[in-house]
Amino acid sequence: MSWHPAHGRHLRVGTLVLAVFLILAGGCATAPDPGDPEAVAEFNKVNDPAEPTNRAIFELNRSLDTAFLKPVATFYRDVIPQFFQDRINDALDNLRSPVIFLNDILQGELDRALATAARFMVNSTVGILGVIDIATEMGMEGHDEDFGQTLAVWGMPEGPYVVLPLFGPSNPRDTVGIVVDFLVDPFNLWASNSNRDFAVFARTGTRAVDLRAIHMEALDSLEKTSLDYYATLRSLYRQRRAEEISNGKGSANLPAPGLGQAPLDDGQPPPGNGIKTTEKASRIR
Amino acid sequence: MFNRRRFLAVLLGPAFIFVLALPPGGAFAAELEARAEAFIQSLSVDAVESLTQPDTSREERIKRFRRLFNAHFAVRSIGKFVLGRYWRKASKDEKKEYLSLFEDLMVVSYVDRFQRYAGKNLNILKTRAEKGSAVTVFTEIARAGGAKPVRVLWRIGARGEIIKILDVIVEGASMSQTLRSDFGSIIRRKGGKVSGLLEELRIKTASLKADAGN
Repeated sequence: MSWHPAHGRHLRVGTLVLAVFLILAGGCATAPDPGDPEAVAEFNKVNDPAEPTNRAIFELNRSLDTAFLKPVATFYRDVIPQFFQDRINDALDNLRSPVIFLNDILQGELDRALATAARFMVNSTVGILGVIDIATEMGMEGHDEDFGQTLAVWGMPEGPYVVLPLFGPSNPRDTVGIVVDFLVDPFNLWASNSNRDFAVFARTGTRAVDLRAIHMEALDSLEKTSLDYYATLRSLYRQRRAEEISNGKGSANLPAPGLGQAPLDDGQPPPGNGIKTTEKASRIR
Repeated sequence: MFNRRRFLAVLLGPAFIFVLALPPGGAFAAELEARAEAFIQSLSVDAVESLTQPDTSREERIKRFRRLFNAHFAVRSIGKFVLGRYWRKASKDEKKEYLSLFEDLMVVSYVDRFQRYAGKNLNILKTRAEKGSAVTVFTEIARAGGAKPVRVLWRIGARGEIIKILDVIVEGASMSQTLRSDFGSIIRRKGGKVSGLLEELRIKTASLKADAGN
C-alpha cells in the first residue's frame, strides 16, 4: 500500500516488506501421506502449500491491525457522522472508476464499461467530484472490477493461497492484479508525476480505514465464532473472489449438503441423490 | 432406409439432448418452488416474531432461536457435510457429541446475527429447482441507511412433508463450505482426529454462551 515501484525513496518500505517476507518464508505445509488419496485430495483443495509462512504473516497483519488500523477505524466509525462516512466512501469509489472502466473493457464487458463511464461522468460533475453518488440514486448502480478478476476471466489460474504483508489474503494472480491496478490508476499517475505522493498515501490510508470500518462488525463476529479464523478467512476470500469474478452468478451453483449425503433429520436412509447442481462448480472461474 | 434412419437421428438427436437439458421436474418442480418460497417467507415472519421483541433476555432469545433453528434447518445434514470425510472416521459417540456441539455452535453464533437481519425486509427475487428435490431461493435483505441490500441464497431440501434449509449463501459465501474449511483445518492440525475438533468445539461453545452478546 505504501510503495511505488517508480520511486526510489519508497524503496525502503519495499525492502522492509520484502525482508519480513523472506524471514518468514521457508516454512512449508507438511505434505500428506501420498498413500492416502483422500488426504492428498484435501491437501490439493486447500491449496495452501506455504501455510506456516502464511499463518505467520497473518498473525503479523493481525497485530498491526489491532495496534493501528482497528483503533483508527473504530474511532472513524463511532465518531464521524454517518453522512460524512458515506461521502468519503462515495468519493473513494468514484476515484476507482477509471480502473474499473479499464478492466470492464479488458474483460469485453462493454455494457458494464459504458455504465461505469456514465457513472463517473455524472458523479464527478453533478455529484461534486464524486462526493455524492448521484448515479446510484438515478438508478445507475455501480460495480467493482480489478485486474485480478480480468486475469481470471482471461483464464489464468489463481495459484496457491498467499497472505501478503499489510494487504492480507491473496494469491499470485490477485497480487499481480493489485500491482497493475496501482500502476495504471490515473490518480496515482497524476500524483507521482506532480510530486504529490502524499495524495496516494492519503487515499490509500483513508481507503483502508473506510473498508475496515465497513467490515468491522462482520469480521468481529467471524473472529469470535470461528474455530480457526485463518482457515475461515482463507475459505471466505476464495468464495468471495469466485463470486466477484463471475459477477455474482457463481455461488448459486456451489455444491451443498444434500439429501443424498445425510438424512434430513430422522436418521432414515434417504431416497434419491444429493443436490447435483445443473452447472458444474468448476465453471465458476 | 439408411437415409431415413439417419434423418431421424439427426432430427431426434438434438431433441433428446434438449429434453435432458430441461430443468428437472416440471409441474413437481413448480410446486416445490412455491413451497420453498412460502417456507422462506414464513421463516422470516417467525424470526421477526420470536427474535425482535424488546426486553427479552439473551438466554430466552437463544432458547427461541434453537427452536427455530431445529425446525427450519437440516441440522444433521449440514453437520455431516461440514465434517466431510471425517464423518466416517468418527465413532458413534463422537458423532453424537459432535452433532450436539454443532447445533450449540450454530445457535449461539447465529442468534445475534439473525436478530440483526430479522425485521428487515426480505425480498424474494426468484426460485430455481435443483436436482434431488432441492430448490434455491434467491433473496435480498434490506440494510439500514440505504446501503446496498445483501444478496442471500437459501438452498432448501424437501422430502415428503419435511422441508428444511441445507445452506445459506450470503454474497457468494456459503455457510456450509466455510464451516467445512474451518472444521477441516482444525482436524488436520489436531492430527486428523475428530476428538481434537470436539475439544475445540466444547471450548468455543462455552465461551460463546458465556458471552453477553452485543
